[in-house]
Amino acid sequence: MLEMHHISKVYRTDTVETHALRDFSLRVEEGEFVAVTGPSGSGKTTFLNIAGMLEDFTSGTYRLDAEDVSDLGDDARSRIRNEKIGFIFQSFNLIPDLNVFDNVDVPLRYRGFTGAERRRRIEEAVELVGLTSRMRHLPSQLSGGQQQRVAIARALAGAPRFLLADEPTGNLDSEMADGVMALLEDINSAGTTIVMVTHDADLAGRAPRNVQVLDGWVQDTTQAIDSPVASQAPAELAVVGS
Amino acid sequence: MEFGPIWRASLRNKTGPILMALQIALTLAVIVNAVFIIKQRIDKITRPTGMDVDNIVTVQSFGFGEDFNLQESVPQDLAELEAIPGVLAVTSSQHVPLSGSGWGTELAGSSEDGAPRVNGAQYFVNADAVNAFGVKLESGRAFTAEDVEYPESFGVPISQVIMTRAYLDALFPEGGAQAGATVYDKLGNPVTVIGVLDTMHGAWVGWDELENVMLVPRVMPVESNYYIVRAEPGERDRVMPQVEQTLLATNDRRVVKSLRTHSEIRDSSYQGDRGMAVVLAVVVSLMVMVTGVGIVGLASFAVRQRIKQIGTRRAVGARRQDILRYFMVENWMITTAGVMLGSVLTIAVNYWMVASFELERLDPLYVPAGVLALWLLGLLGVAGPARKASAISPAIATRTV
Repeated sequence: MLEMHHISKVYRTDTVETHALRDFSLRVEEGEFVAVTGPSGSGKTTFLNIAGMLEDFTSGTYRLDAEDVSDLGDDARSRIRNEKIGFIFQSFNLIPDLNVFDNVDVPLRYRGFTGAERRRRIEEAVELVGLTSRMRHLPSQLSGGQQQRVAIARALAGAPRFLLADEPTGNLDSEMADGVMALLEDINSAGTTIVMVTHDADLAGRAPRNVQVLDGWVQDTTQAIDSPVASQAPAELAVVGS
Repeated sequence: MEFGPIWRASLRNKTGPILMALQIALTLAVIVNAVFIIKQRIDKITRPTGMDVDNIVTVQSFGFGEDFNLQESVPQDLAELEAIPGVLAVTSSQHVPLSGSGWGTELAGSSEDGAPRVNGAQYFVNADAVNAFGVKLESGRAFTAEDVEYPESFGVPISQVIMTRAYLDALFPEGGAQAGATVYDKLGNPVTVIGVLDTMHGAWVGWDELENVMLVPRVMPVESNYYIVRAEPGERDRVMPQVEQTLLATNDRRVVKSLRTHSEIRDSSYQGDRGMAVVLAVVVSLMVMVTGVGIVGLASFAVRQRIKQIGTRRAVGARRQDILRYFMVENWMITTAGVMLGSVLTIAVNYWMVASFELERLDPLYVPAGVLALWLLGLLGVAGPARKASAISPAIATRTV
């Protein structure tokens, strides 16, 4: 599903070179639920951006759903994001001027579905997250947990191959966070691959597999099977799915 | 196209779009009416005068002293002026067409009492007047030396004239009048139209009956007259000083003044129209500029306000052109609302101006032309901010902005 090999990401200014990811390798199999953890500044978000094709990387290769996406152009990357990846953001990223229906509709419009098809998908996705009665509500009229559910519905409506969640419960209280996490677990149980970036160890503990990132390196994994683990060179720490 | 969501989103942030639409509506109303007036003014300034204005020099002779006799001086002056190399033709005239000064009269197409009278400008000229003004004789004949009269008083009725087609048609509205027709002066005396001119303008450029002109072959018993000197093409400026010198040498009991080119006189008469056109052009330019800047400002503000939203759209699959199109469509919708309102306002303003200032009714084609211009302005105005928006990285979606 997701294979990163020796990915490096370097941010350069005139005087400073910052290595956000160093020789980062990771493999996620279809149907997995992987939590990527690490402290602030460890490279989690850079990993998420690269995995979600939101930004380029400096070197290495990246295969997504058996397709090498390392050198794709901007339009092709947009198409893959639209068709294969569902995003869930920490601060929900709903469009404040659009109601629930129109928010969930956003990625579907870029997909080119007919109006009827979009409506069907929106209604199904919103029903899945339990917000059918709030279809015409604006984000400001919803609680944080409900907004994140709308964001999940938006991510699911296009039937993506995998979900990328960036601190999905970071802005929620524990009760709401628990509800969102349960929803993600249900979605994963239904077969959708999920990669979740979080700094919350408890939340990560609920994922069947954990990957820890520190200073741009993959440092550890709780459920690595086929690869040697510990303090070897990063290239050797490529994680093979459980 | 995202017309529905854009419209619904706009309804939740109405103030900016409404103000912009109002500005566009006002701009449309002002520029369409202003451009229409400018076009009318330009048409007025550039309408054919029928005369060879660019090659004519005019000069005034003002006699003094008891023994000065204009009627004696004119034949001699004409002969001397015609002898200047580069001069094509010369005539004496009591006034200069297009100058804003002249004599008018009333004629009728019938001798019956109560026959409608039509105003026209009249010029007392010499035999070669048709050539000297450079006007085209449509039918009939020009004057000969024998036609020219030297009356001892103003009261002598005129017997023959050359007049413009416009004047003849105004006297005979049923049409078909030709050279040879008889018209009648204020006292009912018959006057024969011996020649018909294609076009010639009279004295007052703002007058509706500017094209009603007649030439009378006569030198009046006065002290002052003008000479209309038509030079060969390209010779006007060389001939000009010689005209003054020749008149002074021919007869020194007079003042020779107001030596001017006919084009100077014409330009001076149209100065007000030209000024109006320039002022309106400046107003139009400023309004277009202000509206364009407003569109750029609103679009730039919208982009700055929605950076995170744009990043999110990009993240969930929008291509750069989708973002570009989004802002283009949004602006187009605002502009369209503005021009729809503006079209009504434009027509209302025109009705008001027609009623209040007797301006012409607006040519209906100006409204769609203005709408197209403002649509284009809107697209140009939003292009820059929209391009910036489309360059926003999808990675913005994961950042705290």
